[in-house]
Amino acid sequence: MSVIKAEGLCKYFGNKKAIDGLNLEVPEGVVFGYLGPNGAGKTTTIRLLLNLARPTKGDAYVLGANIRKDRSYLKKVGYLPDVPNFYNFFTAREFLGFIADITEVEDSKKRIEETLELVALRDEKKRIGTYSRGMKQRLGLAQALLSDPPLLILDEPTSSLDPQGRKEILDLVSSFKGKKTVFFSTHILNDVERICDRVAIIKEGKVLLEDTIDNLKKRYSSHLFLIDVDKPEDLAKKIKGLPWVKSISRRNKREIIIDSSDILLAQKFIPYIILKENLLLYRWEILEPSLEDIFIEVTSQ
Amino acid sequence: MIGKLMKKEWQEFLKTGKFYALIFVFLFFSILSPITAKFMPDVIKGLSQGITIVIPPPTWKDAFSQFFKNLNQIIFLVVVLLFLGSIAEEKNRGTASLIVSKGVNRRKWVIAKFLFQFILITLLLIVSFFLCFYYSIILFPDTMIDLPLSGTILFLIYIFFVLSLTIFSSSIGKDLLQAGGIFVTVFVMFNILSILPKVKDYNPMTLSSIESQWLMSGINWDTAVKPISSTILISLVLIYLGALHFHKQELE
Repeated sequence: MSVIKAEGLCKYFGNKKAIDGLNLEVPEGVVFGYLGPNGAGKTTTIRLLLNLARPTKGDAYVLGANIRKDRSYLKKVGYLPDVPNFYNFFTAREFLGFIADITEVEDSKKRIEETLELVALRDEKKRIGTYSRGMKQRLGLAQALLSDPPLLILDEPTSSLDPQGRKEILDLVSSFKGKKTVFFSTHILNDVERICDRVAIIKEGKVLLEDTIDNLKKRYSSHLFLIDVDKPEDLAKKIKGLPWVKSISRRNKREIIIDSSDILLAQKFIPYIILKENLLLYRWEILEPSLEDIFIEVTSQ
Repeated sequence: MIGKLMKKEWQEFLKTGKFYALIFVFLFFSILSPITAKFMPDVIKGLSQGITIVIPPPTWKDAFSQFFKNLNQIIFLVVVLLFLGSIAEEKNRGTASLIVSKGVNRRKWVIAKFLFQFILITLLLIVSFFLCFYYSIILFPDTMIDLPLSGTILFLIYIFFVLSLTIFSSSIGKDLLQAGGIFVTVFVMFNILSILPKVKDYNPMTLSSIESQWLMSGINWDTAVKPISSTILISLVLIYLGALHFHKQELE
């Protein structure tokens, strides 16, 4: 079952197409990375899913409810905005008390204490107005988790956090795998690589690709080779200009990386050239790209 | 749900000190009005330095005339300034989107804010009236209750309109500045309309002039039926339009 499903979803602001025919499926129980450069339409997608904005065209379903017709699904969604703002006059406990009231949380006092414990704010007695950015982010996560919703929508939850804060948030989100569905919007690729099961890359309001991270790496790894030979410049000279060679780059004194458009031709010809030129081969490796490599490649197309 | 949302408004008013500012203004002017009416002639005489000024002896009507003047000017201003940002500021800060993303009914949210404001002002107005009455009786033993009480009821209906206009402006405006612009525009429009004789009887602005008329020449409910009923109707329309607009509004 898809927890989030978008079908040709569009959001236009005048002539600007913020979201343009977005198709997306987020399966149940996964941590889903929603990646894109700034201005790609990540936050607009989230605003549409949360009924904070209305789609220009298309449909979307969240937890089976059509977002155009039904707002009741919102009670089952926990949302952390990119810049969380709260009522500064409340303490964390008072604020969660208010959220528990409006979301009708059962046994609210116990649940509030559990949630504060989870985000390490249980001993915090100060007003929210005095909190650091990291503390606000943790409180944001606490209010999103308070009603124990099956779906969490997190908009850039780790941006502007220090490494320790990032690690804490990521560890916490990672612990929801299999228990909750997490829609995780970010432009920090390391975070996605670390905790996400599936990923969609979005640019100019369109999903460019969507798959598991493993599949993406397999799909994009096949054309990069690392070759370690005694005379890499000789090999580079011989293969440069061949139709299946897209680029050649030097990694260090002996290693070169070849980007090939045809893996089969590369696998046939490169060993032949090495043999013919009497080069000494130390290592041959098909490279697995980082998510960053894939992201740059996909978004620059 | 409305009760839970109103509870938050009350907590906000207490914790941000707005409640204390409001109660101070209400109580201060309700005590000051009879005192000013009683002693102002003596103060003026004392400052006249030899010039003979004939001032008729003050009466309890001067006390309540002063009370209504303060309600219509200073208290009106304080109420508008405190409540104008109630929705607009939440939209601007992002707390509105956080709350409605939890499935809170947007119309109920607007109504909860309005009800809280109206109930609070009504309670403060009742306390203020009786405080003013108490001091008036001490200073002017012949003080009557029916005339000033009727005037205060008229003011309550007028403030019902003012609060509905603030909630309307706040629902439509994206921030405090926009809400302020909308409020001033609509308020000035009603003031201009009160010049037209045919429209005057149905204009909420007429209520404040009736308060003074009644105080001087006695209660005449017939003169107030049209403005009261149209004020209530206009106010309900403004609340409805504000809630409707906010229901459809896109939030950041």
